[in-house]
Amino acid sequence: MRDNESKVQRKHELPLEGDSTGVFLKVMISIAVFIFALTLAGVLSINSMLQNWNNSILGSFTVQIIPSTESNHAKAVAETIENQNKTIEFLKKHEAVDVVTPLNDAQLQKLIKPWLGDGVDLAKLPIPRLIDVKLKPDAELNYRKLAEQLAEVSPAASLDNHKLWLNKLIHFADGLKMVAMTILILVLLVNSGAIFYSTQTSLGLHKYIIEILHLMGAKDTYIAQQYARRTGWIGLIGGVIGIVLAIPAIFLLGNLASEIEGGIISEANLSVMAWGIIFSLPLFAGAVAMLTAYYTVKRTLEKMI
Amino acid sequence: MTETKDNICPIIEMHNVGIRYGQGPEILSDIKLCLKKGSFHFLTGRSGAGKTSLLSLMYLAQKPSRGVMGVFGKNINFANRDSLSLLRRKIGVVFQDFRLLEHMSAFDNVALPLRICGMNDKEVKKRVTELLAWVELDKSMYAKASTLSGGEKQRIAIARAVINRPELLLADEPTGNVDNDIAPKLMKLFVELNKLGTTVVIATHSEKLITDFMYPRLHLQNRSLRVYPPAKVFGLGGGNER
Ligand SMILES: Nc1ncnc2c1ncn2[C@@H]1O[C@H](COP(=O)(O)OP(=O)(O)O)[C@@H](O)[C@H]1O
Ligand SMILES: [Mg+2]
Repeated sequence: MRDNESKVQRKHELPLEGDSTGVFLKVMISIAVFIFALTLAGVLSINSMLQNWNNSILGSFTVQIIPSTESNHAKAVAETIENQNKTIEFLKKHEAVDVVTPLNDAQLQKLIKPWLGDGVDLAKLPIPRLIDVKLKPDAELNYRKLAEQLAEVSPAASLDNHKLWLNKLIHFADGLKMVAMTILILVLLVNSGAIFYSTQTSLGLHKYIIEILHLMGAKDTYIAQQYARRTGWIGLIGGVIGIVLAIPAIFLLGNLASEIEGGIISEANLSVMAWGIIFSLPLFAGAVAMLTAYYTVKRTLEKMI
Repeated sequence: MTETKDNICPIIEMHNVGIRYGQGPEILSDIKLCLKKGSFHFLTGRSGAGKTSLLSLMYLAQKPSRGVMGVFGKNINFANRDSLSLLRRKIGVVFQDFRLLEHMSAFDNVALPLRICGMNDKEVKKRVTELLAWVELDKSMYAKASTLSGGEKQRIAIARAVINRPELLLADEPTGNVDNDIAPKLMKLFVELNKLGTTVVIATHSEKLITDFMYPRLHLQNRSLRVYPPAKVFGLGGGNER
């Protein structure tokens, strides 16, 4: 009795399980998800890295006025002050700048104290003057351009080196991100294409059965659902395989990166949300496979009588 | 005799219909036809006369290449894909070449029209098991269609055509391969369905069938269709005229 029961179980008319395109799609999708996971991990770590860098670079920066080397002391001081004033004037007019505060003697003294000790008369020493600049909230600033402009205003004015360097790094990372995004889009397109063509091939292969289903009154969606269900499974399974392969690879790359001196890359930790996104890739692959198959069937069948 | 003006034609209606394949010549021209609800017709004509082609218009496998056709009161020329599908669900067809799903069991083949309509598994099982027993196929219920004999396949095809109690039943030489002892039983099935209101068209070569059952005849000859009442053709007279 139970035997009969199981034989009566709902079967699908299209023998898609035996399709050779299934194996091809599974391999294809698992490779795609592998690449996708690695690239995504890369993008997400670059993002977290950029965030850390941006936090340290955003908000404020310091401009340094190198003291004049004029031998006449009074003249040197006057020149330095003039350089400082010119710089302040320029900075105040800059659209990204909110507040410009030149550090006064007391503040400078406090900064220098650890090196020179108490009671140093700043006026007599050729120490650089510092200008603290606060940016407007959300202001975007191109530090390289600013550095060039500053040099024009006064050759004595210069930007904090570290920030300039970070700024370049951020540009580089942004570029990397663009490349990675392009890879993600290409992988997605190639895969959807593969699903599209293998689904079309399969439809051709099963034309006889599809005709019978149509003649019995099946709508296109009835057939599309069978394809969507099967291709969705393939996407999910292929996705799981891809992820299982990608996780060790991500850890390996992470370890290699953390061995780099300077701790720049160690700022690139993957957040819980990032891991969540990576682990949900098989679901994403399943959904993409399912939708692609569904719409391929609908579109292809619409051209039949 | 063929048509009267005040007849309504709710099942099949054809006006100046022509059929051609590709760019070839018309194999049927200027077909005028009206099938009333509850009618029963034989469709005759030599091999190659176009019986299968005419039936394929009726089961909506193709649209006429010319003329106007209505099915269940709906103009086919303007029907979209989904509404054609819904119309097909009210039509049962026994194909000349059966068109079974060979990789599936007799049960699954007969269950197909019900499943397409979204019927639940329990009801499907009840109905299919009952009908398969009636066509004496209960023993091969779970055998793959590809392993069955021609006669058994034909009975599956017939069971599949009638399982959903269609409003229109079209059969293309349905008794050709069936063993002689079951042929009358299958005809009786068609007759019973017809009494319940199903409109029936059976294409056949069998003189015996045509003389045993006194139904009017659609005859295809020289690309055109003529309708004969049973008594006039065979001169048998009597009160069998419908
Ligand atoms: N799919 C097709 N493509 C081209 N010609 C066809 C096709 N089907 C049938 N024909 C032609 O149409 C004519 C009628 O065929 P058919 O309708 O099968 O006749 P019957 O069923 O009465 O034997 C034949 O000459 C046949 O060759
Ligand atoms: Mg034929």
